[in-house]
Amino acid sequence: MRIWISISRSIALLLLLGTMPAGMLSAADAAASGFGKIAIPKPPKPADAEHCVEPVAVMRRDHMKFLTHQRDATVIDGERNAKYSLVGCIDCHNPASASGEIIRYENPQHFCAECHAYASVKIDCFECHADRGLERQRQSKSDAAAWDRAGAGLSVTTLRRRLEAAE
Amino acid sequence: MKSEPQLHPPQPSRRDFLKGAAAVATTLVAPGILLYKTGQAATGLNRQARWGLLIDTNALSEADVDACVTACQREHGWRVQDGSETDAQWVRKVTLEDRASGHRSFLPMMCQHCESPPCVDVCPTGASFKRADGIVLVNKHTCIGCRYCMMACPYKARSFIHENLKDQLAVAPRGKGTVESCTLCVHRIDRDGANAVPACAEAVNRGDSKAILFGDLNDPQSEISRRLRQLGGTRIRADLGLNPGVRYQGL
Repeated sequence: MRIWISISRSIALLLLLGTMPAGMLSAADAAASGFGKIAIPKPPKPADAEHCVEPVAVMRRDHMKFLTHQRDATVIDGERNAKYSLVGCIDCHNPASASGEIIRYENPQHFCAECHAYASVKIDCFECHADRGLERQRQSKSDAAAWDRAGAGLSVTTLRRRLEAAE
Repeated sequence: MKSEPQLHPPQPSRRDFLKGAAAVATTLVAPGILLYKTGQAATGLNRQARWGLLIDTNALSEADVDACVTACQREHGWRVQDGSETDAQWVRKVTLEDRASGHRSFLPMMCQHCESPPCVDVCPTGASFKRADGIVLVNKHTCIGCRYCMMACPYKARSFIHENLKDQLAVAPRGKGTVESCTLCVHRIDRDGANAVPACAEAVNRGDSKAILFGDLNDPQSEISRRLRQLGGTRIRADLGLNPGVRYQGL
């Protein structure tokens, strides 16, 4: 009996020792070494936008409900340029950078991918939908008509912002 | 007992309330600055309309019809991959030859946006549907890729996407495993209403001569209705009684 107690004590001690280095490491080291807590993603806010269409807490919790509702309203009832449009999300949160670099959904830095990886959520939006604001970047300011076409469903402020960025 | 999932956001804290109050004050100081969008004038769905096309084949050369196809490709981002039968084909060039006279006419052939579309009848999920304004579409969110609609369509207007795609355009989401066809440039119609010009029409219309005329078949005052009343228009496979919204002249 006593032997068993001592064995179990030594096992407990070993376990304790085994967990200690993890506890002593910093959170970043733990994430880098593949165990422990993963840092909560903090995707950057769009530089030139004042605020999102809803408070951040609401968007975190309910953006998928807004988008699912909006997709039917758009496809069936032609409601475009809506408050909760997916094009609007992408246009604001994932424009091509000033250098013209395009961040795709496969890239962990993509605005959507960052949190979905953290929450272990798999979506298939971007198997069909554009995951970047690419075609608006291609247009030159002189081609106003083409610009207008490519910007169908975009807000005027966003278009103006793109025009300024293209200059 | 498990609690219900929380649908509403958490109550704003005192700090959030104060921040909100500050935002309101800012709005008063500089109205318009905080608007997140000013909004383009979008006309949306017109439930009274029935959109259609009137295609004058006498005014269309072979190059014009090719231009239609190219314009559609550019607008929606589909392109012919290798010329095989499984390629995407929203609009195709059809050549008619009168053997007696040798006269050849060329016409763009796309979804005819039938009043009684057989593709809608056969769809098991309701993904193939007719909008209130008569445009026949595929709701790709519910399409399971069974391709019954492709079998049912007498105009061979639909195609199936076999490959993984990249670089789709924002106005035309399309992806593997779904069926697609001409949308009558629905994104333009939702924006411009009766003044919309589909991409194919834009490619061939010059000034007042409108080889492809878009308009509302329900409105007796619209140009398309007037021209149909005056000169008539052919429904392709009229014997099927589907009453397509795309009419042809000069056939």
